Formats: sequence, C-alpha cells, structure tokens
Amino acid sequence: MAETAADKQEMQKVAGPWKEAWRGFRKSKVAVVGMGIVIFFILLAIFGPLFTPQGINEQNLSQRLLAPSADHWMGTDDFGRDILSRVVYGARISLWVGFLAVIGSVIIGSILGILAGYYGRWVDTIISRLFDIMLAFPSILLAIAVVSVLGPSLRNALIAIAIINVPNFGRLIRSKVLSIKEDEYIMSAKAIGMKDNRILVSHILPNSMAPVIVQGTLAIATAIIEAAALGFLGLGAQAPSPEWGKMLADSRSYLTNAPWTMIFPGVAIMLTVLGFNLMGDGLRDALDPRMKS
Amino acid sequence: MGKKKIVSLAFLMLLLLSTALYGCSGGDSESGGEGGDSDSGDEKVLIFGRGGDSVSLDPISVTDGESFKVTKNIFDTLINFGEQDTEIEAGLASDWQAADDGLTYTFQLQEGVTFHDGTDFNAEAVVANFDRWAAGDADQFPYYKSMFGGFGDEEEHVIESVEATGDYEVVIKLKRPQAPFLKNLAMSPFGIASPTAFEEAGESFGDNPVGTGPFQFVEWKRNDTVTIEKFDDYWVDGEPKLDQVVFRAIPDNSARLNALLSGEIDLADGITPSDSETIENEENLQLFERPSMNVGYLGLTTTREPFDDPKVRQAMNHAIDRQAIVDSFFEGRAEVAKNPMPPVISGYNDSIEGYEYDPEKAKELLAEAGLEDGFTMELWAMPVPRPYMPDGQKVAEAIQSDLGEVGITAEIVSYEWATYLEKAAAGEADAFLLGWTGDNGDADNFLYVLLDQDNIGSNNYTYYENQELHDLLIEAQTEVDEDARNELYMQAQEIIHEDAPWVPLAHSTPLLAGGTNVIDFKAHPTGSDKLASVDLE
Repeated sequence: MAETAADKQEMQKVAGPWKEAWRGFRKSKVAVVGMGIVIFFILLAIFGPLFTPQGINEQNLSQRLLAPSADHWMGTDDFGRDILSRVVYGARISLWVGFLAVIGSVIIGSILGILAGYYGRWVDTIISRLFDIMLAFPSILLAIAVVSVLGPSLRNALIAIAIINVPNFGRLIRSKVLSIKEDEYIMSAKAIGMKDNRILVSHILPNSMAPVIVQGTLAIATAIIEAAALGFLGLGAQAPSPEWGKMLADSRSYLTNAPWTMIFPGVAIMLTVLGFNLMGDGLRDALDPRMKS
Repeated sequence: MGKKKIVSLAFLMLLLLSTALYGCSGGDSESGGEGGDSDSGDEKVLIFGRGGDSVSLDPISVTDGESFKVTKNIFDTLINFGEQDTEIEAGLASDWQAADDGLTYTFQLQEGVTFHDGTDFNAEAVVANFDRWAAGDADQFPYYKSMFGGFGDEEEHVIESVEATGDYEVVIKLKRPQAPFLKNLAMSPFGIASPTAFEEAGESFGDNPVGTGPFQFVEWKRNDTVTIEKFDDYWVDGEPKLDQVVFRAIPDNSARLNALLSGEIDLADGITPSDSETIENEENLQLFERPSMNVGYLGLTTTREPFDDPKVRQAMNHAIDRQAIVDSFFEGRAEVAKNPMPPVISGYNDSIEGYEYDPEKAKELLAEAGLEDGFTMELWAMPVPRPYMPDGQKVAEAIQSDLGEVGITAEIVSYEWATYLEKAAAGEADAFLLGWTGDNGDADNFLYVLLDQDNIGSNNYTYYENQELHDLLIEAQTEVDEDARNELYMQAQEIIHEDAPWVPLAHSTPLLAGGTNVIDFKAHPTGSDKLASVDLE
C-alpha cells in the first residue's frame, strides 16, 4: 500500500509536460486574467445570445440613438437596435472568425511547414520562397487583395485571414521540424524502417506543436482585429450583421452626437484582443523551456 | 483545388497591387508639392468639397450632377436659368423669337464672346455643336436622346435643322412643337463647346474641356480634385470674382464636414441633415439650403424576375416605411414622395394617394403573385452621398429590414459610383437606390426622361415600358397650352402609380455649408451652381 502511494507521488512530481506547463501558467497572474477574459467572451458567445434583451436586427426607428439607460444598457444605434444585444452577438462572430481562421492556417501551415522541413531541397526552396513573398506584404493589404478577388463577405474575410497567417505557422513548424528531424529517436525510427508518413504524423507533428499553440493564441487576437478591420472597410461582414468592426464603421458619423454607438463595440474588440494576448504571453512563458528559471 | 485557385488568384492580385501601389506613391509626392503652391499669393481660391468625382467634363456625354457642377462653370448655354429658379433668361443667346406654330426658333447671339482657346463664338460654332450632338448615339450622348428624342434622321428626333442665318443668328427648326424646348437648351449638358477643341480632341474632349464659361479648365486628378481658373476674357463684365476654384471629392460625409470645420475647404456640398446643428452652432460657418427639386427612389428593374410582375412592385411599395426613413435619415429635411416628381413642378398630381405602409397588404399582394414564401433579391445602394439621399447605405439597411418583415430577403450590394450607374443602366440590378435632381424644372425632365420607353438604355434604369404612358408623354411634349399639358402629366402619374416601377422615397432639401467669408453663393435647385458671382472675403 505504502509503495503505491509513494509511486503516485512520484508520478505527480514528473507529471506530463502539459500539467507542468499549467503550473507555470498559473504562476503568472496577468495570464490568468487574460484567460478569464477569454473564457468570459467564449461563454458570452455561446450563451449570451440566449439572454439578450432584443433581437439583433430588430429595427425601431422611433428609438434611434438613445443614450444608455435601464432599458438599453449600451444605448441604441441609428436604427434603434439595442447595442448590447448586437455586441453580445458580435462576440460569436468575432470568436468564430478568430478560431476558424487560425485553425485553417495552422492546418495548411503545418502541412507546408512539415513538407518543407522534412524533405528539404527543392520542396523547401519552393515553399519557403512562397512564404517569403507572402510575408513581404503588409498582412492587411494581402487580406484586402484576397477579399477583392473573392468578393466581400464574412466567409471570404475568414478565408483571407487564414491565408495571410499561413506563412507564420509554416515557418515556425519548418524550423521546428528541421531541429527535430536530426534527433536520435527519429534516426532510430528511420533505422527500423518506419515509413516517412508515419514518422511525420506520429513523431514530428506532435513534437512541434508547443510553439504552434502559443503562436495560435496570439494569432487569434490578430485575426479578430483583422476581421474587424475588413468589416470596417466594408470588405468583411455585410449589413445587417452585428460584426464589431462593421458596427464601428456604421457609427463613426455619430461620434460626436452618440459616442456610445462606437465605444461599446470598440471596447469589446479591445478586451477580447487583450485577453488573447495576455493568455498567449503566459502560454509562451509556460511552454518555452528557455524561459524556465 | 479551390484553395490552390484562391492562392494563385491572390498572387495575381498581388502583382497588380504592387504595380498600382508603385504608381500611387509617385502621385502622392506630386500632389504634396502642389498643395503648397496653391495657397501662395493673394489669389482667391475657393475649395469646394463634394461627395463624388465627376464622370466626365464633356457635359453632353454625362447625366450626373457631379459632372455638371464643374461644367456649369466652364461652359455657357444659349439660355440661362434664373439665379435660384428655372425661369429662362438670356445666356449666350441675347434674344430669341419663337414662331407661332412652335416649330421655328430664331436666336440672336451675344457678340464678342471667345472660347478659352481663343477662337470666336459665333453662329457657326453653335451649328457645329448641334451637328456634333445629332451625329452621336445614346451611348455617347444619353441626355441629348432624353431631351430631343433621338439622333440624325431618326423619326423621334425633334430637331429638324440648325442653321446659321448670319454671323450671330441661328435658326432652329423642329419637326414637332416641344413645349420645354427653351428650358431644355438651358440645361448644363447643352453647354456650347469650342468646335476647334472638340474636333481635335475627339473622344478625349472630356479630359480637356474648352467652353466660353467664367472659368477655364486647369487640371483633373481623378477621384481627387478638378481645378478651374478665372478666364480673363469672360464676356460678362466683372465676373468671375474668384481666381481659382478647386472641386475636391471627399466621399465620406463626416470627413467632409471635418474638412470644413478645420478650414481645409471653403464650401461643402452634401451636408448630412444630422450635422446641420453643428454648423449652425459654429460662428464661422453658414448653412445653405438648396431649393428642393429632386426625388430619391428605389427603382425596380421591370425586366428582372420577380419585378416583372406589377403586384410584386406594388407589394414593395406597401412594404417600405418611407415616413420612418425620412424621419431618421433625412432628419425630417425631406418630404415623403408619392409621385416620381416633386410638388414644385407644375403638373404634379396631388390627388394620387401614395401607397400606405402596410406589411399585411404587401404580404397579400406577394401571395397573389405566387410568392407567399417571399424571395431573395439584391438591393443596390449607392456608395456616395447624393443630394437626394444623404446616406444610401443606411436607407438600404432600413429597407432591408422592412422587406424582411414581409419575407423578402435582400442582400445589400454596392459598387464604385461610375460602375454602379453603368451596371444599373444596363439593367443588372434587381432593385437599386437612385434619385434625380431636375435639370430644367419641367415635368418632362422627370417623367419622360426617367420612365419613358424611349429612354431605356439612357436614364430609364428600370426598363419600364408602357405604350399608353409613352403616348401621353409625347403628346405633352408637343402640347403648348399649359393647362392641357398639366392635365396630361396628371394622367401620366396615375399610370405610373398603378404600374409602380419605383418606390418613390423622398423629396429632400439638400444642405450645403460654407465659411462666413463665402459671399453671394446661391444654391441652384438643379444642383449645378454657377460660381461666377461668388466672392471670398
């Protein structure tokens, strides 16, 4: 009995790398706050729309531009729509775009990065130069170019954001793969005759994921800003969608007479992005072995 | 596969973009240098901020107000409008006589007038202009077709001949009387251009216009500024008072207002009604009201399903709450429209009952048309503020929501302004927001120009066709008796009301604002303001 208990304790001490990372993460208060914000917005996005006081597209032109009050906590916009309801629903759109776009770019970036890193030579040359070209452009400009080819809509904005983030992940994974593939366990896997694709999927991919998670969290923040920027420019979500960037664009002519129409969507963007950034920083500290003191 | 295609398309775009960007950077540095120059010295430079750029500076080739706003000051017309109305006055023609049968007009021309290129203005020049117009087609000169029926030998062409009977005398013969003929001649598109210049320039005359007006053309930077300067040999003594006028396109309403507040521009067109208070509270600014003579409407392209069914078009009319739109997005500075022309025009039919806002009735009509489940459509909204509609996008959103109530799903679509007009004229829109500012104060300029089958392809964007209406409108054109003529227009409005090719929305009172140092600016109801007598303190 005593032996097993001791064993358990031992197990806990050398708990898996994830658990260890969590411990490291918890140490940073700022990161935990960031995660709190993120969780708050995720819950808001999932459940919020069930509790909003008014339909998001319910226009009531007789109640336009009302200041925040007990009836409308965040006031109403120029169509008499309840801003609180729209901001809450907007969380769903923004997070959806953020997550999906990043997942998309992680998948494509991983495939390209692994191919480039593992096979090297001409495959590497082509893929790496492609990344170089894409990175040579300011990302928002690239996104605008993509949207102008595909046509303005939320879905196409999402695709554009996914595309512009591909080279970031691709490069990251490529460099990770380059270092891993020289490791002894890969050598031995090769020596016992393991096929390339199995080595890639079961050894190299899982071992290069940690930096991707960090980068991914930070990329969600950027993706949300980019989606809002495209929405603001009229290239993302289309009316009457309550996308935050679109809301900002629609209300900018009321900046002086009805500032609440701008403030609340603006604050929502700021908070979500801040949350993801703080959390991302915390994750990096926790996952990066070099940062350990 | 799809992704690959997307990526390769994106790269193509990148290449194009990089070229375009390279071009832009050059342009920017140039304009930076120029901006410094224009303020130097004691020159009186008026900077006029407006919502959009001109389409062309050859007035006969366009129909849009932003083009006329500039050409009005470069070209003179044979006949002029009053300062703030559409009464006719002498222009390049100092006097004229109409024969009793209404078929022959004799004009005596102003002597001693020269074009900006130094050539003389005389009867030959007038004839050359009419010959040029008559030799065109609807694509080239849409407004000529709208006002004079057709070109060359075509039967609908009203003008039979234009002859010089002396150095300074011109006789115009018509095939049939045209009641608004003199008013038509006073319209901006029929500005007299220098024959030497347009023969030489050909198609590119619109980039380098030469007329007899108070200002001569200097430079046009697309989507930015049009610069015109004082013409020293202008034939009216003491005019123009300004040395230079710069028309600057600032599409965003609030950006234009800010430019005015910061003194970057002296005069601003297209002031959003909600900003009028800001201007009235500002000591250095004054507000100008443009006498209302316009209509803003939602056009329903009658050749496209389901708008080929009049029931559906009537349903649209019942589905939209115009009063709410006028209250919200015109801030009450407009009147709800029920007819395609404003009440100030004689012949307005006030006995017509406008379609009431009644979603239930709209649903019934849709059901009768076999569309109980509604349908999906594109709703086009103009990208720039127009005098007849300060914010098309917002109006579109309100309409979208109203249509949603009766089961119609509308997707809002917008294009760059010139493309928008072109595509709408080609009948590519299901439903489009648009409007019209009268160019001569005559009912003919609304009803015939916008809704007659003769003008399909030019200004009749809905492709609405009705033979009965056509007969009435043509009869009205030739009817010289004012009362009988008005009666015909009243009947015409009833037909249009029944067929409902439009959802008429509003007749607005457009607002402008300027610094208190702008003197003698008089906003003209047609939207083209002559700046010859305007001065800066």
